[in-house]
Amino acid sequence: MSFKRDISTSSLSGFTLSAILILTILSILIQNIPKQITTAGDKLLELNSQEGVSNAVTSVVVYFRGFDTLGEIAVLFIASLGIGLMLSNNTKCDIKAQSNFMLKTAAKILFPIILLFGIYIIVYGHLSPGGGFQGGVIIASAILLLVISYQNFELSHKIIELLETFAGISYVLIGLIGLIVLDKFLGNFLPSNISNMGMLLSGGIIPIIYIIIGIKVGSEMSLIVQNLIRRAQ
Amino acid sequence: MFEYLNQVQNIKTIITIGSMALFCVGLFGLLTKKHFIKIFISIAIMESSLFLFFIGLSYNSSLVAPILTKNHQNFSQMNDPIPHAMILTAIVIGMSVLALGISFAIEYYKVTGKTKIDEMKDLRH
Repeated sequence: MSFKRDISTSSLSGFTLSAILILTILSILIQNIPKQITTAGDKLLELNSQEGVSNAVTSVVVYFRGFDTLGEIAVLFIASLGIGLMLSNNTKCDIKAQSNFMLKTAAKILFPIILLFGIYIIVYGHLSPGGGFQGGVIIASAILLLVISYQNFELSHKIIELLETFAGISYVLIGLIGLIVLDKFLGNFLPSNISNMGMLLSGGIIPIIYIIIGIKVGSEMSLIVQNLIRRAQ
Repeated sequence: MFEYLNQVQNIKTIITIGSMALFCVGLFGLLTKKHFIKIFISIAIMESSLFLFFIGLSYNSSLVAPILTKNHQNFSQMNDPIPHAMILTAIVIGMSVLALGISFAIEYYKVTGKTKIDEMKDLRH
């Protein structure tokens, strides 16, 4: 039984026709969207002006939907665990393309700058666009630069393990302290004055949780990148 | 020249047509390509088209981004922050699923030496 997946011209034209039909229906629907509708986001913006930080997306991600973010971090952790398990035979193989002098020098110069930029994105996540996930991915890209340029570079598993454990445990602990103090999981138990909105120290637990998310995402993404490059061949 | 873009309906029509075209590109790649990694990349293209669609439909050019700035000091007349937060979640989930799938493909290649999906006959008799 052959598994060849040949696509004939008739099915291709049918595919195109149905795509055009769906597009037409969707654009007719969109032309009739009402201009002013009140959404759930408007209510959240009202709430955010009473307790929150100046970046409304951050307060939705970390505060109003903080429990979902905990689950999301668990998904990321499970993916990292699965990649480590799948590629776990410890055959150390060298990358065939050797990195040259220019890449090594550029990595040496660029690594601290990229790392600093990632930390800036994480720490200012409640004031400007950015945050823990974005900054963590930037830190992982700095690690990627080191991994592709130095053949002997290996992340210390002890340190990564320590960072990951610290981040996960402290996230849950902050949530539990909020549950004890304010009867609400991830309740904002630190002082958060509205008049401080826009300062670096504002918003109570929200910047702390975003820094924790940044540590977690950065270490896990670095481990994923290193596993995929070092053990994939 | 681009005044018609100021109308919300027009720009939403353009976003719909563009993201659905990108979705069709991904679907075409998913149906016709046979290499594992090309199939995963097609799924990633379909995902990103949906992200564009979701973010684009929540866009309103008369409102500002949901961040306080010097010129905008209160939380009114702002875009909806919920789609941004949800797509932020979805991007991270999609990334981890893509990385896990690629590692499965790599491990399958290391065990059997096959890279095409129509050579996968190990469990068939």
